[in-house]
Amino acid sequence: MKKSVVFLSLAIFSLLLASCDPKEPEEVKPAVLTVNIDSKWGSDPFEVQQVYTDSYGNRVRVDNFQSYISMLTLIKNDGSEVLLKDFHLQNFMDATTLTFEAPVGVYTGVRFGVGVPATYNQHEDPAQYPSSHPLSVAGSQGMFWTWNTGYIFTKFEGKADTTGTEGADLLHNFTFHTGDTDGYSEFVSTSENIELKAGVTTAIGINFHVDQIFGSGPEGIDVSSDFNTSGATVLGLKFVGRLDDSITID
Amino acid sequence: MCRNAIFILIILITSCTNPPQLHDAPFNIRVPGDFPAIVFPEGNEPTQLRVLLGRKLFYDKRLSAEKTMSCGTCHVASAAFTDGKKVNSGMHNLELKRNSPTLANMAWSPYFMMEGGVPTLELQALAPLHNSHEMGMNMMPAINVLNEDDALRELAKAAYGRDSIDPFVVTRSLAAFQRTFVSGDSRFDRHQLGLKNQLNEEELAGMNLFFSEKTQCSSCHAGELFTDFGIYNIGLYEVYEDVGLERKTHKTTDAGKFKTPTLRNIDLTAPYMHDGSMNSLEDVIELYNTGGKTHPNKDERMHPLNLTPEEKAQLLAFLKTLTDYNFVQNAMFLPLEE
Repeated sequence: MKKSVVFLSLAIFSLLLASCDPKEPEEVKPAVLTVNIDSKWGSDPFEVQQVYTDSYGNRVRVDNFQSYISMLTLIKNDGSEVLLKDFHLQNFMDATTLTFEAPVGVYTGVRFGVGVPATYNQHEDPAQYPSSHPLSVAGSQGMFWTWNTGYIFTKFEGKADTTGTEGADLLHNFTFHTGDTDGYSEFVSTSENIELKAGVTTAIGINFHVDQIFGSGPEGIDVSSDFNTSGATVLGLKFVGRLDDSITID
Repeated sequence: MCRNAIFILIILITSCTNPPQLHDAPFNIRVPGDFPAIVFPEGNEPTQLRVLLGRKLFYDKRLSAEKTMSCGTCHVASAAFTDGKKVNSGMHNLELKRNSPTLANMAWSPYFMMEGGVPTLELQALAPLHNSHEMGMNMMPAINVLNEDDALRELAKAAYGRDSIDPFVVTRSLAAFQRTFVSGDSRFDRHQLGLKNQLNEEELAGMNLFFSEKTQCSSCHAGELFTDFGIYNIGLYEVYEDVGLERKTHKTTDAGKFKTPTLRNIDLTAPYMHDGSMNSLEDVIELYNTGGKTHPNKDERMHPLNLTPEEKAQLLAFLKTLTDYNFVQNAMFLPLEE
């Protein structure tokens, strides 16, 4: 009986000591980062299924614009990197805001791929992923080839009138499906100043400028002559380059 | 009496609430003695339930968007899993580009589709299911329908240990069933095993021609499988509407190249060529006899053979010995009677 009382007293004393431990670390609130992915035509928001006139005088309507964004990463000012998201399928029908918790600090860069890196793309089976995964059969929303292996990195499809006739129907189809190892491009920006503070939400934007995808002159894509590609063809890689160049961070 | 009634009631309630347990066991695929061993993909070794599920799904029209087609629509067992049509016609009876290939001996194929772009039989299942002109556009609505079938869902759970029917289960089970399509019991095979009186004089002469330096047929239609799985241009056209391998590689030097098909059961799989453009084996033999049309990518082995009418008849007779009637009449390959 006496022993039990002593043991109980010691236990209570220990608990009290533990609860008074001054070394217990204070909870550090992470920073919150929102990444808004959107598309623009000039300085205005771009709308899928709206008719625009490109620099070649073609009236173009993009009906489907989707891209895989891979390995979205923040680059810290000390050179270390924080992976925010491995895969995201962006449907440009609507802007998307992704929200992340990230370590506080100053970040000078953003890195991401447009497409799916080769290690996830070659001989990959979409059926192996759960339905919620962007690379799954359901989550990929048809962004994979079935006659060939691999994901379709970007689908950019629509119709155009290339005759220059006012009010003419958009009878000319254009289809750009990019993919294959060479069709993967990495966007890196190293001149950002993103300061993430504890408990504070910071926003950045990733914008795809659709008018710049079409571009102008011989470097651009005139859909009256260049309107159909699938995979890493010469035209496909040209499209990938234009898509990559159209991206801005703000 | 009362005690018996209670016992029966308990049995009835139990039978209503607990579906019968499904027990699985390995499925033994009989491999002909001179064939290589089948290498099964990890996680999809054949079992009784996996093959059974694949068999059900292979003939299940709910897998097509309009519930009008199954895999078995274009791959009919009695025609060595072809359909006798020039080219595949999908849901909307549109003429597609390619002839339905045989599914015989798929277990040994290192890649699939005529340009060889698909590396596994599991992945291949996605091709027709996701082709808007063949069976639909997206298999997910079909999968939702299948999951309403309690018995099928339970079978899928028991076969693959997953919560429901999903793309993994569909692609794996279809592949498991198709790997059972082994064909190696033709008269030619029996002759090779040393059985007497399997081939007549004409067929034997045709066999010798087939394996000769003169024709070089067996340099591509090689080995037990009668294919080397190579991808060649045989000079079928001067200009190819369907560019074949070029579609995959984007190289014009690959235009008109298609995978060597097996010749097993060839007498049952007319019409021939990637686009079903040749109606008879006589036409095919004549193409090889002339050496094919001029094309920069044509394989160098394609040159005029100068076969006599007798030799052509001998080759034809030999090709007909490659029919495996036990294969095309195998009841295990037919739809289950529900």
